[in-house]
Amino acid sequence: MSSDSDGQGQVRRLLERLVQASAMERIVISIAALFAAVLVGGAFVFVSGGVASCRSGLDVAGITFCYNPMQVFYELFLGALGNPLQAGWSPTNLSLATTLQQMTLLLFAGLSVAVAFRAGLLNIGTQGQLVIGGFVTAITVVFAAPIVPDGFVGAVVLIPLGVLVGAIGGGLYGAIPGVLKAYADANEVITTIMLNFVAAGITSTLLSWRFEADSPNPRTERVPEYAEIPTVPGIGFSGRMDFSLLALGFAIVLMVGIAWLFARTSFGYELRTSGIQPAAAAYGGVNEKRMTVASMTLSGALGGIAGAFWVLMVHGYWLENVPSIGFDGIAVSVLAGSNPLGVGAAAFLFGLLKSGSESIGTATSVPPDLVGILTGLIILFVAMPEFFRMIGRQYVDVGSPEPARADGGSVPADEAADGSGGEDDA
Amino acid sequence: MTESGPGTTDGAELATGSEGDTADHGTDMGQTGTKTGTGTGAETGAGTDLAVHLDGITKRFPGVTANDDVDLRVERGSVHALLGENGAGKTTLMNVLYGLYHPEEGRVVVDGRERAFDSPQDAIDAGIGMIHQHFMLVDSMTVAENIALGNEPTKWFGLAVDREQIIAEITELCDRYGFDVDPEATVEDLSVGVQQRVEILKALFRGADVLILDEPTAVLTPQEVEGLYDVLEELTAQGKTIIFITHKLEEATHAADAITILRDGESVGTVAPERTDREDLAERMVGREVLLEADSDPVATGDVVLSTQNVAVEDEWGVDVVSGIDLDVRAGEIVGIAGVDGNGQAELIEAITGLRTPDEGTVTYEGTDITDWSRRKRIDAGMSYIPEDRHKRGLVMPFDLVENSILGSQRDPEFAPDGRIDWTSVRDHTDDLIDTYDVRPPDANADASSFSGGNQQKFIVGREFERDPSLVIATHPTRGVDIGSTEFIHDRLLELRQEGVAIVLVSSKLDEVRALSDRLAVMYEGEFIDMNDPDAITEEELGLLMAGEQLDEGANSASSASPADIQGGESR
Repeated sequence: MSSDSDGQGQVRRLLERLVQASAMERIVISIAALFAAVLVGGAFVFVSGGVASCRSGLDVAGITFCYNPMQVFYELFLGALGNPLQAGWSPTNLSLATTLQQMTLLLFAGLSVAVAFRAGLLNIGTQGQLVIGGFVTAITVVFAAPIVPDGFVGAVVLIPLGVLVGAIGGGLYGAIPGVLKAYADANEVITTIMLNFVAAGITSTLLSWRFEADSPNPRTERVPEYAEIPTVPGIGFSGRMDFSLLALGFAIVLMVGIAWLFARTSFGYELRTSGIQPAAAAYGGVNEKRMTVASMTLSGALGGIAGAFWVLMVHGYWLENVPSIGFDGIAVSVLAGSNPLGVGAAAFLFGLLKSGSESIGTATSVPPDLVGILTGLIILFVAMPEFFRMIGRQYVDVGSPEPARADGGSVPADEAADGSGGEDDA
Repeated sequence: MTESGPGTTDGAELATGSEGDTADHGTDMGQTGTKTGTGTGAETGAGTDLAVHLDGITKRFPGVTANDDVDLRVERGSVHALLGENGAGKTTLMNVLYGLYHPEEGRVVVDGRERAFDSPQDAIDAGIGMIHQHFMLVDSMTVAENIALGNEPTKWFGLAVDREQIIAEITELCDRYGFDVDPEATVEDLSVGVQQRVEILKALFRGADVLILDEPTAVLTPQEVEGLYDVLEELTAQGKTIIFITHKLEEATHAADAITILRDGESVGTVAPERTDREDLAERMVGREVLLEADSDPVATGDVVLSTQNVAVEDEWGVDVVSGIDLDVRAGEIVGIAGVDGNGQAELIEAITGLRTPDEGTVTYEGTDITDWSRRKRIDAGMSYIPEDRHKRGLVMPFDLVENSILGSQRDPEFAPDGRIDWTSVRDHTDDLIDTYDVRPPDANADASSFSGGNQQKFIVGREFERDPSLVIATHPTRGVDIGSTEFIHDRLLELRQEGVAIVLVSSKLDEVRALSDRLAVMYEGEFIDMNDPDAITEEELGLLMAGEQLDEGANSASSASPADIQGGESR
């Protein structure tokens, strides 16, 4: 193992160290990376301020630096929570609602990617599954609404129905690349990417049959108001209707459920085994093909649920212009190391960045492009160690090195001496 | 430390010995004696032109000494065979020469100069080329592109690859060595034999003077093997030096000018093929080992538990790796399958255990045709299987022992009633296994990867034996396991046999299969070439059979049975 030249050896040792890091170490690494990102990003913002033009700023050596990095990061993190350090802060403020709304959606999407990844599959198609799931939800609820009573009964029937059909729609759509992978050996990365375009195409075509095709913002009819996810009575988020604590609660229950599935069930055990060592899974009696289809279906169903909540919680209708929640889910899952509970934390961070970006936009003159760079840096810094862990695992042998003399067994010293010591060498 | 290689003077040897393990001291002394003998012999005998001289190479891996003070002297312009069983340390030794491994002790001398290779690139620069058993070619690229890959001559100040020059150089090489290879052909269209020549050309293109071939005939048809011999002859005639790794006696005696035999990581000597015979080589290669005391009281055998009829398996290139295997295993019987690794045992076992579908034939288990059964169904029906590759199959390396203890039983109602795993009872089961099979350290929460090979093996053996099986397929059950645990595993195997379990034992350890088996089949190139009463055959004869030699009829008429007798002699 010391055979590599120095440079390679060092890289290898670093990778080994990273791959073998404990959970605690990984959390510390993530936090340190966050601080590093803030430092680098802060420098970036400060320097950028030197070339921007503004009326007031910090004058250094004749250059006016327009942006205050401290203020930018204050807005990014605390603004996203509604400035909790200021007097009169209420937990039900608008910014926090935005943070949690994004967190909810990203939690579903992140779980979707994580489930597939734990089974050894890279599902890039959560976005497509979300598009299909959301569309099916919207259409089903719109069509089912007339035959269901209004009000409370309608909510109790339509919301679970909507989420269920969203899950089924997304699940079936996710099963397609699963089947292609299992029975036709088609790489799931390629097929899921392509199916994202197919999903967009199908939905927009279906939409154009029923609605005017040339509308600037094509969308379905609105679902009845009682079919949108209700907010918890008494906890209104500044009158905002597009976030519900119930949805977040459901997402967290689902997250715990997935974690439980992985840790405590035969199916979860088989799924994890397939992801880590397919040959061992086959030895242990796991049907690889079925496992591929099952995990992709589950992954797609979670993507579909993300779509259902996007429709029923955020807009109340499906519109063609779907935000990239599914793609962000990939980053969330990578950041979380595909650990379901970690997905919760990562989704919160992403929600925070999203909402914080908006706060920066309103409170400072920093342009949104620069804010994009900041959030990008944070994601990059925090995700990179995990990313290298994932890569490293393929190159660093996590097992003990297989001795070259695998067969010989341990020949005891005395026997070895008998065997060769006395024998002639001529 | 590395400089003071053994064999210089007795004083130096004593110094090294005292630094190391005192228990080995006696061994060192003994070897020093023999070494000085050969050393002087070689020096006076020729003062010959050595292309490669490996002097006292010792290479250790955690827990295993893969090469122990091995000497290898290869004369320029000769074909040198490195003979030994699988795992004898041949490939390790060559990886040392090729710069893939650093030896703990010993010197690598190439062309009379001592070298320290940090990487294969250094070895290539020193004129050493290695042709691996599995070719490193890009299938979709042409021969020329493959050969030049990484060493492309360029033109226009490095802006473009000089294709004409590549083709010209390859054509010249082909002419000089009499190769018939079209540089413009795509590699995937070529036969395996020609692909091997492309690999040889690649090494020559990089200026190799010493070519290492790792089991070059393993992938070739008999005709291609003949062709390879011609190629080797042509290469040595042009002054190139060849080292080839093999475990087949016939190849060593046929093609080599000198044969060095390795056994258990140690050199057993170098012989000229004309001054030895196959029996002698087989004995040196296999070695005499202390026979294990095994209680093989005959047990009344019961019904046929496992039966295969005419099973054949093709590998991914469509070559028959298993053909026409008929085998009956009865309850309370151990049937041994001996053979050098890679003669189809792995594929036959995979066909029986459900990891592979046989291309022909049927597998019957307890009277039912299970050829199309899934692996899951076979496990549930009571088939235990100790796999050959514990790192890939037998254990999930990043899982701890608790999780590993239910690999295969993850849906067993005992551990997972209604699909939920009862980790408390699994943990108890794991602790029992660790206790009974003496897995060390006894830490159920440690990852499987943190255990030594022997302890990993003990754990797998325990898991499979405690499954309450009616059939046990044990491939190399004691591989890497220390002597004490080996005996324990053997005793457990015999106990299972006593309890009426049918057992198939695949092993390349001759003493093991001989001591334990009630009947012993020898597998060579995908077929059972003989089926014997293990007590009526010597290890030397067995070694010969494993190497594909036919036994001298006169010497062994009593014991050998015709292959037709293999199938259930007593019953039909």
